[in-house]
Amino acid sequence: MSDEFDLDILKTVKTPRPDAETRDRAMREALAAFDDEKKSAATQGSASGSRLMTILQWSWSTTMETLSKGRLMSGTAIATILAVPLAGYLAFMVMNDGYRPGFTGSQPMELAAGNTDDRVRREVARPAPEPAPREAEERDRSIVLSEAMPQAAPPASYVQQGALAKRSLVGDGSAKVMPGMERLSRDRFESFETSSVRAVLEDPVSTFSIDVDTASYAVIRRALMEGRLPDPDSVRVEELINYFNYAYPLPDSREAPFGVNVSVSPTPWNADTKLMHIGIQGYDIVPAERPAANLVFLIDVSGSMDAPDKLPLLKSAFRLLLDKLDARDTVSIVTYAGNAGTVLEPTKADEREKILEAIDNLQPGGTTAGAAGIEQAYKLARQARVEGGVNRVMLASDGDFNVGASSDEELKRIIEDERDDGIFLSVFGFGKGNYNDQLMQVLAQNGNGTAAYIDTLAEAQKTLVEEAGSTLFPIAKDVKIQVEFNPETVAEYRLIGYETRALKREDFNNDRVDAGDIGSGHSVTAIYEITPVGSPAVQNDPLRYGETEQAAASGDASDEYAFLKLRYKLPNETKSHLMTTPVGPAFDKASLAALSTDAQFSIAVAAFGQKLRDTDAVANYSWDEIRELAAGARGADPYGYRSEFLRLIGLAESLDR
Amino acid sequence: MMTIAGDALSPSDAIAGDGDQALAVRASAGDREAFARLLERHYDTIHRIAWRWCGDGTEADDIAQDVAVKLGRAISGWRAEASFPSWLYRIVLNTVRDRQRARASERRRVEAYAVQKLVDAQGGGGADDDPAARLWSAVGSLPDRQRDAVLLVHGEGLSHDEAAGVMGVSEGTVSFHIHEAKKKLRTMMQASEDELS
Repeated sequence: MSDEFDLDILKTVKTPRPDAETRDRAMREALAAFDDEKKSAATQGSASGSRLMTILQWSWSTTMETLSKGRLMSGTAIATILAVPLAGYLAFMVMNDGYRPGFTGSQPMELAAGNTDDRVRREVARPAPEPAPREAEERDRSIVLSEAMPQAAPPASYVQQGALAKRSLVGDGSAKVMPGMERLSRDRFESFETSSVRAVLEDPVSTFSIDVDTASYAVIRRALMEGRLPDPDSVRVEELINYFNYAYPLPDSREAPFGVNVSVSPTPWNADTKLMHIGIQGYDIVPAERPAANLVFLIDVSGSMDAPDKLPLLKSAFRLLLDKLDARDTVSIVTYAGNAGTVLEPTKADEREKILEAIDNLQPGGTTAGAAGIEQAYKLARQARVEGGVNRVMLASDGDFNVGASSDEELKRIIEDERDDGIFLSVFGFGKGNYNDQLMQVLAQNGNGTAAYIDTLAEAQKTLVEEAGSTLFPIAKDVKIQVEFNPETVAEYRLIGYETRALKREDFNNDRVDAGDIGSGHSVTAIYEITPVGSPAVQNDPLRYGETEQAAASGDASDEYAFLKLRYKLPNETKSHLMTTPVGPAFDKASLAALSTDAQFSIAVAAFGQKLRDTDAVANYSWDEIRELAAGARGADPYGYRSEFLRLIGLAESLDR
Repeated sequence: MMTIAGDALSPSDAIAGDGDQALAVRASAGDREAFARLLERHYDTIHRIAWRWCGDGTEADDIAQDVAVKLGRAISGWRAEASFPSWLYRIVLNTVRDRQRARASERRRVEAYAVQKLVDAQGGGGADDDPAARLWSAVGSLPDRQRDAVLLVHGEGLSHDEAAGVMGVSEGTVSFHIHEAKKKLRTMMQASEDELS
């Protein structure tokens, strides 16, 4: 090798010491997070909520702290940018100058620039001019840091001084611009890590809850339409896939409320792996047979809802929904803002005028008292309860619940209790800016409901009208899937998406563990990427000791890929039913084209979502190829959802670097 | 799953030491003291990794803080068959990348306002004499994956196999990224030397 330079000298780059105060704070917060995690694990036992346990969650306090910092700055930054272009330009300069992570800046070399010590010290010593009171703490921190610099800096460390100087030179502002810039938008999303590839020999069983939420798709669509790539944490691949309707075949017998369709096909983004595609199709309840519905609309009319894409859109949306109801059903409306109040006592759905008048009179104002509103809504739901029917609270909000004594935990507990009592909760998210995706998800998941994000009237039409049946009428609940892979045929597997829905292996047979529901006519898709034994794509090297023998010992020479198990409960039952399907060579499709167009399209969406999450597996699969696959599988597309998806691919491509 | 033996990493940098795996097992089972010790022991390492990847002290502090909280949340989901060091690396790298990604999209939006970029005339000011610092800066301008591979293998002293485990790719891919990175770095270092002379 003709190396003119030795890369290993990288080890000698001097690293500054961590800020002691930050370190202490981090330790405290980490321990608090640790305690929280333990507490929630303990109080919920193995029942509801355990599927959230593997998620990397932000602690509430950290989020709030970052947010308050972020809001402080971003407010200023936005105002500046909007007011005068020149000011916007200056803000840009400050950002570029004051905050240069070195690696993303245009001039990485500058970081190593030899600032003279004198200049650095002089700048550091100069006090910041009249800091606002709120900046005081930040300023203190930066001064401490700067003072600590001389002893922290080993004599030869230009790099370190450069980095510290960058911060001090621009004064206090820069320290706050940074967190603000990252979260200009205050929408909150839970972080989670993409599922990794698992070796079948070590971990043959994969267990998860189905997920029929669609909120993630609308959120990423909104981001792309506004010209930015979505926050990777906002991309839940399974929700993108399940946003679309797929007409998978239904079984002939109606023993189970839904059919399970499995196929194994080549992977479009990797010639050496295969995709195991699982499509679940629920029966449609015939309108005449559908149970009566008792719906309580819980509507957020707080001041933050006063935006065209919030309350006015919500009013139109519920008008649409009203069209789907008839005399069998009752509707009530509760608002919350300041004092929670009942706007409409339970009313027969055919008294349209009365209901519409109540909707039209909703006015935004006040702050949000979510907990009181929810209690009120449940009270009305119990009052108008339909035995054997659908009892559901429909919460519409931008997700700002944090006023009053309510804690997330307590809210969750109320919702779980009511769920066990037969009153479910669906959540409809509106607006952007402070949309609290995490809270909305948690509420809906714990309330046996769906979480949908409504950003346009068209989306309201899709969620509330076309899919009213699946949104309102569950045909099966607590649907869990467990797949056991055969180590003789499959070396590795990776579940695409469903990270936030992972279950423990033993939870599968535990009927107390809550999971997702399937509504009337719903379809649900899950896709595994599997690596056959002997494929060059195998990522994990075989173990040196023992494992091969074990594999040989189990040898009944089976050629099956996997054994698929599915558990569900009927809506009014507490004991689960089990369905099993051995997935053998008979399920093999020679090419993607041999799959149904629906399955092909779902695979294109899976690729798209993974690419937005920057998943390694699809790194070499181009946007163009995704578009080609999706375009070929568009089908009839009467409402244009799939065409819209094709446009989103184009937008994402143009924004991706 | 790959396993990195405790002593496989550069002993002086000691992300892993005797007992990490044991502490992690106890912490994941809910042992508060074990978690505190584990974090105590590795906080500086986390900070170092963050700093090497992002090149900014304050940012590294923020990232280290984020990672610490994430660990508190996630340790109960950690499984003993995974190697603790590579798991830790993965969390730090993901956090760095998420933040940089968020910032990149933010910058794109702001850049729309800055119609023309001011020439960085006052910037630069000549390259540093320290070859390590110059090289490190150049590494920072590589594409993400190449940067990760180079810093993990040459900066942190992991083997290609271990780096592959952290990055979730195959060993061959790591070698390929490093090969590509070397080609680019050679050009970059050459160019900057020309400037100096």
